[in-house]
Amino acid sequence: MTHIHLEAIEKSYGQTKVLNDCSLEVARGEVMTLLGPSGCGKTTLLRTLAGFVRQDHGRVVVGGVEISHLDPNRRSVGYVFQNYALFPHLSVADNVAYGLKVRRRPAGEIRERVAKALQLVALDGLGARYPAQLSGGQQQRVAIARVLVLEPEVLLLDEPFNALDAKLRLTMQIELRKLIDRVGITSIFVTHDQSEAMMLSDKVAVMRAGRIEQVAAPLEIYDRPVNDYVASFIGRANVLSVEVRDGVVASAPEVVTNRADGPARLIVRPENLAIAGADACWSGRILFASAQGPSIEYEVEAGLPEPLRLVVPRQAGEAALPAGSAVGVRIVDPGACIVIGGGSGV
Amino acid sequence: MHPVVRRVLHGGGFWPAFPAVAFLVVFLVLPMLTLLAFGFVTIERGRIVGDTFTLQHLHSALGDQLIWRLAWRSFYVAVISTVLALVLAYPVAYLFSQTGGIWRTLILIAVISPLLTSALVRTYAWLVILGGRRGLLNQTLLQLGLIDQPLRLLNTDWAVIIGMTQIHLPFMILPLLAVLSGRDRRLEEAARNLGAGRVRTFFTVVVPMSVPAIFAGLALVFAVSYTNFIVPQLLGGGSYSTLAVQVYEQTVVVLDWTRGAVLATILLTSCFVFVYLIVAGGSRLSRWSEIRT
Ligand SMILES: Nc1ncnc2c1ncn2[C@@H]1O[C@H](COP(=O)(O)OP(=O)(O)OP(=O)(O)O)[C@@H](O)[C@H]1O
Ligand SMILES: [Mg+2]
Repeated sequence: MTHIHLEAIEKSYGQTKVLNDCSLEVARGEVMTLLGPSGCGKTTLLRTLAGFVRQDHGRVVVGGVEISHLDPNRRSVGYVFQNYALFPHLSVADNVAYGLKVRRRPAGEIRERVAKALQLVALDGLGARYPAQLSGGQQQRVAIARVLVLEPEVLLLDEPFNALDAKLRLTMQIELRKLIDRVGITSIFVTHDQSEAMMLSDKVAVMRAGRIEQVAAPLEIYDRPVNDYVASFIGRANVLSVEVRDGVVASAPEVVTNRADGPARLIVRPENLAIAGADACWSGRILFASAQGPSIEYEVEAGLPEPLRLVVPRQAGEAALPAGSAVGVRIVDPGACIVIGGGSGV
Repeated sequence: MHPVVRRVLHGGGFWPAFPAVAFLVVFLVLPMLTLLAFGFVTIERGRIVGDTFTLQHLHSALGDQLIWRLAWRSFYVAVISTVLALVLAYPVAYLFSQTGGIWRTLILIAVISPLLTSALVRTYAWLVILGGRRGLLNQTLLQLGLIDQPLRLLNTDWAVIIGMTQIHLPFMILPLLAVLSGRDRRLEEAARNLGAGRVRTFFTVVVPMSVPAIFAGLALVFAVSYTNFIVPQLLGGGSYSTLAVQVYEQTVVVLDWTRGAVLATILLTSCFVFVYLIVAGGSRLSRWSEIRT
């Protein structure tokens, strides 16, 4: 059941179109990630939903009610800012209590709910501190508690883990996902870290230059990208210009496609390529090799505009083939390859 | 060495400031102390008599009812003028922070340009505006039919307060302007997101964040108002006096340097106390801003 519905949102700043016909549906209780490179409009889309930015065209619908015209304080949409935006002049407890005080809840109830919210994010006992006296991870949890205590319909988080170091980041990602599942709140994350997107979300929306290119479950985006942009953005991909003839790819005949004959592009994940002998589709020379525990990475110069990238499983004791070796490369699972139209600009 | 002295000298902050500190000590603090010292010795025929240190002059000044009345006037005139300046300055500084482009430049010019004309000239301008029946203000109000008797403004506390407020307004606006235009707007968005309306956001987020600037402005404007002697002299008229005016008259007109120095000591000391109270009040209200991490 659709909970959040963004309909054909457009937004320009002066001459620049920052959001271009952005449509997005998020089901109730679902966790959606907006993924895209810097400057593609992720924050702007989130801010439109929160009401900080007014769209030029399009509608914002939450729970079947259009909220496009509502001021930010009239929307039941919790927003966790990129750098948390905690009130520096208020203690942690007062930060969390802010929204409840605005709603004129009785003092006893406020105390109770603040304590519960701080407990939820494992910050009980730190209520009297000021934000400046907390670590980055703790500040982030205050920002989340401050929003969750109001039990909003929707939770928006703009790159919530950016300021954290790699290790804490991983812990917080897991904690946050657990927390969201526990309170069961429809959430939209912004990130430009694809592994974060894969790990946190039920669905990923890949954005490029103000447009949404594909919305799907993380694995589906990985396995079935709609175009080479999405393919190279999520994980790594070899994108090859090929020729389709009689329903197969000319240079790799085991790849069957229902595309019409003509130029096309073949998308192959690095782990779907293997070093081969006689049955090779391509042959070339190893440019670079690196063994990394469970796998070995190769770059093979095979007379294509870009070298082929391979990630092959490594057996115990196995060393990488030396750079310079002449090798063949084959496709492991032709069914996992994707052939898309050859026209440029997809 | 006292630990505080040691910390100042070795804290790394002192030596870069040394030239300025030395300059102020040699050309401001020492001459001022010398001047103030005249209040604590006996002078006869232009010479200091013996090496007699005496508190007798201070004692008699503090026992004088008139001095207390003048000090009280200095105080309440300065307080009212300072509060008025804050009330007038805040909206201007806020407006500045909310606008862009040409408006920003115009506001900045409007705020700074009074500082380019001398305070004396501006005070004379107020004389023209407030002065008597034919003053600009009374003329205008009479013409508009808002009053039928000219107001008596000149030679009252209000004339002094109005003049001072206008002259000192930039000192209030400038610190506010700096802090308000450099503030983090996302805090206001956060407040809106948590359900606060515009007005509530302003008073619970914008104003508290500017408390350090508010108190800096209050201290600055209070100090210059409390010690200003030109405005009360010109706009208060011949029989109007304050503590600062007395310091001037005793020293320059009556040429009683002893009396002048004693009154200056009282003026300066009380000014320091009030400024200290303002600053202390400000940092009490904004302890959060002093947290070091
Ligand atoms: N207030 C504004 N005025 C003008 N241009 C803006 C404004 N806000 C955003 N933009 C432009 O809109 C585009 C999208 O910005 P946005 O902040 O949404 O990107 P983003 O996807 O969140 O990027 P990042 O990953 O770097 O945070 C950028 O090109 C940015 O320069
Ligand atoms: Mg952003």
